[in-house]
Amino acid sequence: MGNKVVTFSEEQIDDYQDCTYFTRKEILRVHKRFRELSPSTVPKCMTGDEAHTIKVPLNLMETLPEFRENPFRKRIFSVFSSDGTGNMTFEDFLELLSVLSEQAPRDIKVFYAFKIYDFDGDEHIGPADLQQALTLLTSNELNAEETSQACTKVVEESDIDGDGKLSFIEFEHVILRAPDFLTTFHIRI
Amino acid sequence: MSGSGGADRKSKKGNRAQVWEEAGGEFYQESYPGATTSTSNENADTADAAAHRDAAAHLATMLPSKQAQHTMGKATTRRSRNEGKQSTRKRTGNRSRFNTVRRESNINDVHVSVLPDFAVENIPNEERTWEEIMQIKAMPVNMAQKRELKAKLKSATKLRLQGFEQLKWQRRKFWQRCKSNWKEFYTKLELWQGSLKTIEGNFGIGVVSYFLFVKWLMFLNIIIFALTFFLIVLPSAILEPGQLGQCDPAAEDENNTSIACCADKYQNYTSSNNFFYDLVQGTGWMEKTLLFYGYYTNDIYTLNKEYKLFYDLPFAYLVTALLYFLVSLIAIVKSAARGFRERIIEGEGQFYQYCNLIFGGWDFCIDKLKGAENKHKAIYNEIKGCLEAERLETEKQNRSKKEKCQLLFSRSMVNTGIIVLLLVSMVTIYLVFTLSRSLLREYQKAEKHFLLFFEFMPSLMIVSLNLLLPLLFSFLVTFERYSPIVVVRITLLRTIFLRLSSLGVLGASIYRLVSCDRRNGCNCEEEVPLCWETYVGQQFYKLAVTNALTGIAVTFFVNFPRAMLAKHFENCRFLKFIGEQQFELPNHVLDVVYSQTLCWIGSFYSPLLPAFAVIHCFLTFYVKKFACLINSRPPSQVYRTSRSNYMFMAVLLISFVAAAIAVGYSLAEVKPSRACGPFKGDEPVWNTVKLSFAKLPSWIQGFAFFLGTAGFTMPTIVILLLALYYYNAVTAANRQMVLVLRRQLVLEGHDKQFLLSRLSTIIKQQQQERLKNAIPPPPSEFDTLLPPPPPEVMNSS
Repeated sequence: MGNKVVTFSEEQIDDYQDCTYFTRKEILRVHKRFRELSPSTVPKCMTGDEAHTIKVPLNLMETLPEFRENPFRKRIFSVFSSDGTGNMTFEDFLELLSVLSEQAPRDIKVFYAFKIYDFDGDEHIGPADLQQALTLLTSNELNAEETSQACTKVVEESDIDGDGKLSFIEFEHVILRAPDFLTTFHIRI
Repeated sequence: MSGSGGADRKSKKGNRAQVWEEAGGEFYQESYPGATTSTSNENADTADAAAHRDAAAHLATMLPSKQAQHTMGKATTRRSRNEGKQSTRKRTGNRSRFNTVRRESNINDVHVSVLPDFAVENIPNEERTWEEIMQIKAMPVNMAQKRELKAKLKSATKLRLQGFEQLKWQRRKFWQRCKSNWKEFYTKLELWQGSLKTIEGNFGIGVVSYFLFVKWLMFLNIIIFALTFFLIVLPSAILEPGQLGQCDPAAEDENNTSIACCADKYQNYTSSNNFFYDLVQGTGWMEKTLLFYGYYTNDIYTLNKEYKLFYDLPFAYLVTALLYFLVSLIAIVKSAARGFRERIIEGEGQFYQYCNLIFGGWDFCIDKLKGAENKHKAIYNEIKGCLEAERLETEKQNRSKKEKCQLLFSRSMVNTGIIVLLLVSMVTIYLVFTLSRSLLREYQKAEKHFLLFFEFMPSLMIVSLNLLLPLLFSFLVTFERYSPIVVVRITLLRTIFLRLSSLGVLGASIYRLVSCDRRNGCNCEEEVPLCWETYVGQQFYKLAVTNALTGIAVTFFVNFPRAMLAKHFENCRFLKFIGEQQFELPNHVLDVVYSQTLCWIGSFYSPLLPAFAVIHCFLTFYVKKFACLINSRPPSQVYRTSRSNYMFMAVLLISFVAAAIAVGYSLAEVKPSRACGPFKGDEPVWNTVKLSFAKLPSWIQGFAFFLGTAGFTMPTIVILLLALYYYNAVTAANRQMVLVLRRQLVLEGHDKQFLLSRLSTIIKQQQQERLKNAIPPPPSEFDTLLPPPPPEVMNSS
């Protein structure tokens, strides 16, 4: 390592450590992964405001092996990107991986999971959102009748206030009872 | 209010039992205080009519569900600088208050949040600020806001902690840093990180949990090995032996049957084969090594004569055996308890199976196309299965009598068949064992490899039965028409019985051989080995070796070619049928559990067997990884992590109990051989304990005897029963409470709907009225429309 380039200033690293569940090493690893996506636009040195201005477009983000096969990848990126388009800055990316890391507590995962499943962004998971999730999950193999049947089941199980859709509290309540959620909602980087 | 929910919840996360309560509490706490604040502000200027429309709209957003929505929206949209600041303050104030005020009446809370912020805020000291900075990471806002928040917290004026407080805080900071350093170091150390990730990517987390189980077993075995190594093997290897009783032929009767003479006889006895045969059988040069029981003596080693420091090997030997069983039990129970907790939560949520599938179904770890395709298919199957199951359930209720009889008949037939199969296999093992003994006796002078074959006949028989019968079981179970989960469980149960019963028969045959009266000689009969414990150790060593070798051989020489066949002749249906394999978790679990059972039983007779088990687990990981990644395709069934972890532990516990019973019985009842080992003599091993117990001071003895009397045990049993009953009652009450609260939540939901509809009609009326006479209605009307205060139940619990 003859020509050592400082990627982040000490202060930045310190901030990132306090704001995410990552250690210094992991933050640098995340940066490496991020840079691999688009070496031409992402600089090695990010001591300025590059970390929250330089964006990697959605189609490049989708090539990440960890997300390549994830049916929700588009939605995930658009939830975590600060402008909602799915084009990610480094900080967005770091935030995303921090939430999906093993150390992140349940609550924050639940919060973002809700946002991911809420496709139309109306702060409720309605039948339309559920149908979309199911279609993505089964890669569109269920027929329309089965899909709607399953969706009604979900609403039946979880809808407490009887408005036909899941609010955040209802979602949180259901997720508490889904013991697999915590183990499946994470990505090792 | 927005962020406080997350941070606050975090602190109470541990208390899972209260989740409902909590959900209920938050339901109100998050909605009402803020809502009331805003309305009271709103009510302040009710002069003009336009504000009223606003108020009405506000009221609509104030009700529980809308409020949650409002909260979420606020948290995610980029806030202006000023607003961010305010919310920080509120968070500060609320967190310190939440824990204390939470269960009290809500009105208090309302007042608190109405009060000006500085009243609560002006006391943050360094420690609190630091805590808050630590909690920033749990907030669902984006990085820029987090950093802003941190900078603000840092630059804010704060009190310096004085004296002891300062010390305490410094210590906390230090620990925190140590912990994070250790975590970083630990993740670097973690074994098989890469392999696990590959498997995860292909097969999902359910299969990974199996590999984690193998890893867990390896660490358990390392602990067992450390125990036996440091307490038994090392002392007897380095300490110099004390004075042995010498065998004096002249002073003895003609048979030379004193213990010392028997030991001499055993020392001089050799069974020599060639090197390789001895290596796999544990005979010849291997027999009198540290590997087997026979090597160890009943010496009391003298460490230091002046201070009377002794090392009592027999006692140490026994204590070690007890210790490793205890350690294993604790380890199993600890991780089983974790699984059990999860299962209880899941059991409560069996009404949430669809939600679980949709929201927790996708494995975010999967990153390979093939794995993803399979996962899609698996989820599809599961959903279809659930829908199907519902149809079946209704069908089952409508099942005709004839069909019921048929099913009952076929199930009982299959069960009888399986019991017969188990019995036949047990008899076969017994016959093969006796046959191998008699063949060995008959052809003592025959070729070496024949003898080797005879030696290995029982082990081979057991292993081949273990390979073949499960296939038969899984074929038979299809006639019983159980649901998939039941199928997995029932096959698992049957197979574990098969494995344990084969071990049991082997044990029983050995027991018949060795339990005899040795009072009149070094041995009961000529053909019985002089040192039966070593013999048992050899048997288990052989079993372990055979098990390990067949595992490897089957994977590489049978299943691998099969997989290759299936891969290269994809259009040939027959070859595909033979070749294609699924990674069936239950079978692989049984493999490792079985070898663990061997280790537990064998370790007493062969103290270095745990080392072999460690190596075996290590190899198993790679062998199974090969079997998983190259030989098989992902299972068409969804293996749930929580469920499978519990299953592993349950199976392991069954075999642990079996092993403990076997070893315990042999310790307490079977007489050790006279010729070898730390317990040579005529009394069962347990007598060592009794003897050492007799050496203890009398008050300890008295106390121990008291523990055994009825005066102590009866009250204890009664108290335990009462405690059991109490906890049972508490559980039942809690369950009832959950139901009540749930019903209440549903009712509240309906209330909300009702109120909303009332509200909209009233607003309409007002608008019409206003159109008519253009006079603003009195403000008090809105207050009466506020949602009802939360019911008493929330507070009382």
